[in-house]
Amino acid sequence: MKSHFEHMLDLKWGDLDRRIFSDPQIFELELERIFARCWLLLGHESMLPKPNDFFTTYMGRDPVIVTRKADGSIGCYLNMCRHRGNRVCRADAGNARAFSCPFHGWTFSNDGRLTNVPGYKEIYLEKLDLEAHSLVPVAKIDSYKGLLFATFDQHAPPLLEFLGDMAWYLDMILDRREGGVEFLPGTHKWLVHTNWKFPVDNFIGDSYHGPVSHKSAWVSGFEGMPRRKSGYGYEGFQVNPGGGHGFGVRWAENREQVFEMSLPEFLDYEKSRLEESIQRLGDLRGMHFSPMHASIFPNVSLLWQGGAIRVWHPKGPKLTEAWGWCFVDKAAPEAYKREKALHMVQRHGTSGTWEADDVDNWVQCHSSSEGYVARRYPQNLEMGLGDEIEDPHAIHPDIRGRLGKFQSEINQRGFYQRWAELMDDTSVPAVPDMSRRACQKEGA
Amino acid sequence: MNAHAVADMALWFRVQAFLALEARLQDDHHLTDWLALFSDDLRYWMPVVTNRIGRDLGKEISAFGEVAHFDDDKTSLTNRVKRLQTGMAWAETPPSRTRHLISNVEILKVEEDGRLEVRSTFLIYRSHLEYEFETFSGFRHDYLRPHQDEWQIYRRDIILDQSVVTQKNLGIFF
Repeated sequence: MKSHFEHMLDLKWGDLDRRIFSDPQIFELELERIFARCWLLLGHESMLPKPNDFFTTYMGRDPVIVTRKADGSIGCYLNMCRHRGNRVCRADAGNARAFSCPFHGWTFSNDGRLTNVPGYKEIYLEKLDLEAHSLVPVAKIDSYKGLLFATFDQHAPPLLEFLGDMAWYLDMILDRREGGVEFLPGTHKWLVHTNWKFPVDNFIGDSYHGPVSHKSAWVSGFEGMPRRKSGYGYEGFQVNPGGGHGFGVRWAENREQVFEMSLPEFLDYEKSRLEESIQRLGDLRGMHFSPMHASIFPNVSLLWQGGAIRVWHPKGPKLTEAWGWCFVDKAAPEAYKREKALHMVQRHGTSGTWEADDVDNWVQCHSSSEGYVARRYPQNLEMGLGDEIEDPHAIHPDIRGRLGKFQSEINQRGFYQRWAELMDDTSVPAVPDMSRRACQKEGA
Repeated sequence: MNAHAVADMALWFRVQAFLALEARLQDDHHLTDWLALFSDDLRYWMPVVTNRIGRDLGKEISAFGEVAHFDDDKTSLTNRVKRLQTGMAWAETPPSRTRHLISNVEILKVEEDGRLEVRSTFLIYRSHLEYEFETFSGFRHDYLRPHQDEWQIYRRDIILDQSVVTQKNLGIFF
């Protein structure tokens, strides 16, 4: 007997129930079972260069403040005063030792402690438990080579375990040069009227849409990397490392082919960095794999060579807030970083000549899920079903995970499978009833 | 000369007419003609706006060179127009209906060689497909250079008032 959500993804046919995109109750359950449990991307350490720097973001639909504390360590707290719930920080970023609630003046230091309550003596008669009213901290915070993640689930596995082999593959971005990457200043934020899973699905494994969706950009001077032959059937793979993560690569047989895939404006840099990358990562990750698109479960996506990384913040079943940054090798010359930012801005993000067309696809797909009749007809995810590469090690002994052909929906199926597993997990919620009465009972 | 020096009325009138023409070319989708109003050394830039408080007031607008919403030269702006004209730019197929309302035109500076710095406020209404609509507000700081009997814009800084863009894309021009 299949459990409820597992039943919505039929792996025999490759059918996906469209209600997972439109049902408000499913969305509410996602906040509990996906977003309160998983490790979520906050940003990059380079966004907090100095002590007391902070930025604000969201984990699921919960607003959080990420701070570089005075001792240099990084903290992450709900951006919510423990009194009435007002936001204690209304800035997107800045530098502050403390956050004072604009409602009644409760003040919290940037390590979360409640340090000042107006009328603490006269009104609260010193009975208010200050420690118990600190800003709510995340359960765990960690970074993988500069990428900052946090989770509200104290029982969550360590970050490295959550990322699994995806971490090893993420080194193709994060560790291909000495010093890793940095995020360039500037965050794109925009609202998309679609369910958050559509963009994740698109980035995790849809190498099929490019020649149609992006043809207008491609023929108008906004070519992308790795450069591709026109048409279908060119060489590459969808790599499924498990855990609901996934990415797509083109395959370069040798160094020359790496350079053939480069845009002219990046060729000199590609030549200058390739040997270092091969030395650091080996020939599979350093040369053969020219990665393109990826998603990290649940709501992070990236375009490897495009330098674009995204978080898809869920705002409702039919509303998603996209946040985008541009990442570059820290050791790269300034001129390359500038060129990369231009490349990214002109293709991806708010005015992106590629992404605009993607976004419209997701909006239209989503609106179909709202029709009663339309959502009785499943989405088709059968591409490459039963047609996986049987022995990835025959292609290269270092390959980890499963391999699909370059145009295969193996990664989308993996994503929804992981989604269903977590949605079917009815054990105690990551964040149970936190009322003092409930906590006291649990303590007793 | 003070920064807000009022130029003579005839000049102000001509600049207003120039900006109205430019707005109409966009609203009527005459984008090739619209491009001709920009010089070959164009910088067309829309920075990102963030919410700041305290000491950081004044840092709301991202610096040039940082990640922006638009960061184009004449070539890339021309390519953006070409893309829309392929008939395969799905996000603008059919194209948005826009109304560029340009107002509060001020000539901030008149150079001896005839170059001008002009600030104007915009309110742009955009309607796309059935239910998608948006009002963009903000201001532009334009740098104009005499060209034939009129001007060409050689630099346009566009400050959008939104920190979170509340529609699916910035797929139109400003």
